[in-house]
Amino acid sequence: MKSAPFSYHRPETLAVAVGTLAAFGDEAKVLAGGQSLVPVMALRLGRFGHIVDLGQVGALRYVRDDGGSIAVGAMTTHAAAGRDPLVAGSVPLLARAIPFIGHFQIRNRGTVGGSCAHADPAAEIPVVAVTLDAEMEAAGGAQERTRRIPAAEFFASTYTTTLEPDEVLTSLRFPVWPGRSGFAIREFARRSGDFALAGALCAVTLDAGGRIERAAIGLLGLGAVPVRAFQAEQAITGAAPRDLDMTETGLLAVADTDPPDDVHATSAYRRRVGAAMAAQALTAAVAEAQAGTGATQEAADG
Amino acid sequence: MADHVAETREAPEQGVSVAQVSMTVNGTVRRATVESRKTLADTLREDFGFTGTHLGCEHGVCGACTVLVDGAAVRSCLMFAVQADGADVVTVEGLTPPGGGLSPVQQAFREEHGLQCGFCTPGFVVSVTAYLRDNPAPSDAALRDALSGNLCRCTGYQGIIAAARRAARELAEGAS
Amino acid sequence: MSGTEAAGASSPVMAAGRYIGQSVRRREDPRLLTGRGRYVDDIVVPGVLHAAFVRSTVAHGELRGVDAEAARALPGVVAVLTAADLNPGLRPMWQTMMGPQAPAAPFRPLADTDVRYVGDPIALVVAENRYIAEDAAELVAADIEPLEPVLDTGAALDGAASLVHPELGSNLAGAIPAAASPALDAAFGDAAHVVTETFYQHRYVCVPMETRGLVAQWDPASEQLTVWAATQGPHEFRAICARILGLPEARIRVIMGDVGGGFGQKMFPMREDIAVVLAARRLGQPVKWIEDRNENLLSGGHAREEQMTVSVATDDAGHFTGVRAEQVENVGAYPFPGNGSTAGAGCLIFPGPYRIPAMSYDAKAVYTTTCGRCAYRGPWMMETVAREQMVDVVARRLGIDPLELRRRNVISPAELPFTTATGMVYDTVSPAETLEQAAALIGYDAFRKEQEAAREQGRLLGIGLALYIEPSQSFGPLGTEGATVRLEPDGRVALIMGTASHGQSLETTMAQVVAENLGCDIADVTFMQGDTAFVPYGAGTGGSRSAVVSAGAARGAALGLRERIVALAAAVLEVAPGDLEVADSAVAVRGDPASAIPFAKLAALAYFEHATLPDGAPTTLEVTERFKAPPFTFSNACHAATVEVDSVTGHVSILRYVVSEDCGVMINPMVVEGQIAGGVVQGIGGVLYEHMVYDADGNPLTSTFLDYLLPTAAEAPVIEYGHVETASRLPGGAKGMGEGGAIASPAALANAINDALAPLGVHLASQPMSPSAIVTAIMASDDARDHHHEEVLREWLG
Repeated sequence: MKSAPFSYHRPETLAVAVGTLAAFGDEAKVLAGGQSLVPVMALRLGRFGHIVDLGQVGALRYVRDDGGSIAVGAMTTHAAAGRDPLVAGSVPLLARAIPFIGHFQIRNRGTVGGSCAHADPAAEIPVVAVTLDAEMEAAGGAQERTRRIPAAEFFASTYTTTLEPDEVLTSLRFPVWPGRSGFAIREFARRSGDFALAGALCAVTLDAGGRIERAAIGLLGLGAVPVRAFQAEQAITGAAPRDLDMTETGLLAVADTDPPDDVHATSAYRRRVGAAMAAQALTAAVAEAQAGTGATQEAADG
Repeated sequence: MADHVAETREAPEQGVSVAQVSMTVNGTVRRATVESRKTLADTLREDFGFTGTHLGCEHGVCGACTVLVDGAAVRSCLMFAVQADGADVVTVEGLTPPGGGLSPVQQAFREEHGLQCGFCTPGFVVSVTAYLRDNPAPSDAALRDALSGNLCRCTGYQGIIAAARRAARELAEGAS
Repeated sequence: MSGTEAAGASSPVMAAGRYIGQSVRRREDPRLLTGRGRYVDDIVVPGVLHAAFVRSTVAHGELRGVDAEAARALPGVVAVLTAADLNPGLRPMWQTMMGPQAPAAPFRPLADTDVRYVGDPIALVVAENRYIAEDAAELVAADIEPLEPVLDTGAALDGAASLVHPELGSNLAGAIPAAASPALDAAFGDAAHVVTETFYQHRYVCVPMETRGLVAQWDPASEQLTVWAATQGPHEFRAICARILGLPEARIRVIMGDVGGGFGQKMFPMREDIAVVLAARRLGQPVKWIEDRNENLLSGGHAREEQMTVSVATDDAGHFTGVRAEQVENVGAYPFPGNGSTAGAGCLIFPGPYRIPAMSYDAKAVYTTTCGRCAYRGPWMMETVAREQMVDVVARRLGIDPLELRRRNVISPAELPFTTATGMVYDTVSPAETLEQAAALIGYDAFRKEQEAAREQGRLLGIGLALYIEPSQSFGPLGTEGATVRLEPDGRVALIMGTASHGQSLETTMAQVVAENLGCDIADVTFMQGDTAFVPYGAGTGGSRSAVVSAGAARGAALGLRERIVALAAAVLEVAPGDLEVADSAVAVRGDPASAIPFAKLAALAYFEHATLPDGAPTTLEVTERFKAPPFTFSNACHAATVEVDSVTGHVSILRYVVSEDCGVMINPMVVEGQIAGGVVQGIGGVLYEHMVYDADGNPLTSTFLDYLLPTAAEAPVIEYGHVETASRLPGGAKGMGEGGAIASPAALANAINDALAPLGVHLASQPMSPSAIVTAIMASDDARDHHHEEVLREWLG
């Protein structure tokens, strides 16, 4: 399974990368970690006349405190992000999602930006971004300048984002959730490292009285794009956790979803498991917030 | 404030469909002229003669092609050789100790019958070597999870898990 | 020199000797661990060209034309060959074990008038490298007029379906009609209970980690063909090439180096292999084809897909009085070997380890427009999958515990030798002992208590058993193997065998046998196999036969050489051979160690200093033995598994997995356990993860590892072993066992899952038992589905 021929570009700066995309338009494709793109090329499901490898654009590899957010350069590998103390301390949901991504060999090359640009609805990073209301930043395009795109507007459909063909995703900004917050990810996959059949990510903040001040529930694999369960979030905001029926909330979270039927699972199955995962994730996130330990690694495993 | 302001768009150089690559492989600088689409796996096998790296799927699932690139265990079928230009690559052949023989991980695989047909073995040996280097005392669950990125069809994984555990123990003992 | 020794059970069996019975570490490992194995893709042949196939993307259609003009024009392309180039002039193709008369699909290397499955090879591109070959393959335009696919065996057999092979006139690939049996009819008529169930087993793929591949080179000057092949049977590869090309076998050399697994898929050369050989001959240049994984999943050979309806008649106490089995196999379009049916073996083995006085077995094999079957580890195993699941069904129906029902029906030691209703004679088997050992090891009774307590908490635990008898296949052409043992001039030993070890560790185990029987150090034995130019004829490694037939040959040859060496020493020492003993590569007069003559000295005498020897002293220190085994040797085992099923996600956790195995005297226990483990995890893979799926148009939906899921180390249970050692009546006492792990595991696991689901009123008679399938069954069994869902979730979270 050998890729079709292509012309290879290895820019060392973002400016050159952007210029290359502009020059070759639809024929050009960004190569980040390659863990999703190269299989597509090897299977000849996609072919591109020009491959623009961002591997040498060092300026896109970083994790920075941006005051209220953590900014992660798009070419930061999952492994690097997973080891980063800023991520662990300030964006625990991201830190906990990363071990679910494939296998450690994949995480050594796959990138946070690449995962978002590839936009598989069962991928973890996109759902983290949507759950936390992250912000993407892209460079290039007709405007010839950077553009900020809220995560909610970034994912258009399966494998499709709202990036222009000549735009490069340069960074993701994950807001830091302050106060008494808790975070959890629960997903169900057939095997270790597989894309989840269904999953949920939850971030919750409690107010001084212990009620839910803010909740975000993101769903994995239940739609063509990462889905926020707004109905469920609204239903529980302002409530005291002990008054919550987690099962009901989970069911509500998936109520409007229409996940696919495929060889691995039926749509009804995905919704059922999604509801259970949402309930479990919410339970764990609330428990962590109640423990008042803020951002910890305790509830890290699913 | 934007991190990256690309007001100036630089004119790109022409891309290349064939390139000369140079990389350190198992400690020696090697060069080859390759199509840009030629994978690192194919280049290692054909241009440099290191046939220990195997192709089991060519789409990044089975792990038989695992090598170290700049110290990290990666699937060499998912990298183009041009991406590894300038990199430091170690294949299974590079794990042989300086005096010959078997490395601790290799020896552990032998002791525990962690291989039968041997086709997946180089990928496992490289993966386990890298993993234990970075995680010297893994729990059983963490070890199994780490091994889940390599497929084996012959052993049912029993000998492989035992070998990885044994290697962890012996490396830890050796280090202390 | 040949010989058949059928020693009685009273013959002294090899107790654990210096090597036999020891878990000797493998000779294969140093090269394989250091990346110095030589698999077929590692072979470098000067001037080699690379092949890629153009394949049908349609399941069934008329092939109107192939336009290769653009492909041929691509720089780097040497040839694009079609059926017109490769198919003509071939003589009939048949596999040795099947014979020329066996029903089979028509053999054609490339599709000519029509295509009969997605993946059907249409053209062969030969180019400077595989990259270019794939580019060119994309440029070949095949004009295919689609026809109705034939996917379902039922539809295939009714009059309306189109014919997969029009030249055969029927989609029925083969049939074994049930024999009329008044005794059986009477058993059913008189039965206290009759229970009937239909079991469905899905389509698997063997998936060795190394795909198929070969390098073929034809030398027109000497008219010799050389093939380096990823094969389990170099001699069969040679035989088939000789047959279809009309060449003497000795002018064909097939070389097998290291091979990355086979499991049956590499037992016979298939259409692509032959096409590459023909291409090499036509072009006069060596051609290499390495199958990629997509091709392997599409076209490398599929397995299993079949259903079996079982009816069991019992008396009041659950004793089986009669059994009927009806099987339908989906053999695809181009199965190998023969018509791909395994019912011929299945119908003999079906009674398994139980006392079944009367039975009938009806089987049909059906062609469909899908990838053809290949052999896969215990190909006939549906008999165990269906029978063992049926035992549990009967048990549940009658209200008897499945272990107890097995106890009532299993053949006891006192009944041996036992002749089954199908004429199989079981002599040295131990199913009852393995049943008890497995039950004890897994703690069956304690588990039942644990299960009950767990049920009260809403948790679903289950336990399943599978008991089976496994035949080593040494009937007909599989009945012999050869070994040459030679003392080299330096006094060390060459062992040359017709085996094709590709993970079975024969390089080590056969050396163990020789070292033990010859009386030398194992380090002095060098094993060689795999090159038809110099090894004895072999029937291929597979069929659980190596420990019986190959070891028999190695043992016989070693003993023969030992006799020669002793005779030479006797002549030199002027004593009777009976006064001598052999140890540590030396021959000495018993009780007089100072008289010892090392093998090296005896070799020097025979090869160089023969002038000093007395007349008539034997100097041929090389023995070739062909060992003939009986048609079947039987091993047996019991598998026991415990599981927990999550009723919300349908996830199956395997808690414990126990195998009680009796394969007679084990040459190398470590190797035996490794073989069991590999088979067990393949079976687990089959039940829980692996599923080769075609859509309604015959397009495969699972043609990469992203969708055809193999179990990983994270999914594999810890496998615990118990061993029972009932020696076979063969010298050495060994039995084969390589396939058994894969035969019983699907049944044990299916039984455990169904045992867990029984309280919900759910029974799955189909595989795979994916999480989605389990949950769908759970949801379907509830009247108030949503209410139950909530209840279950509440319990689970509570």
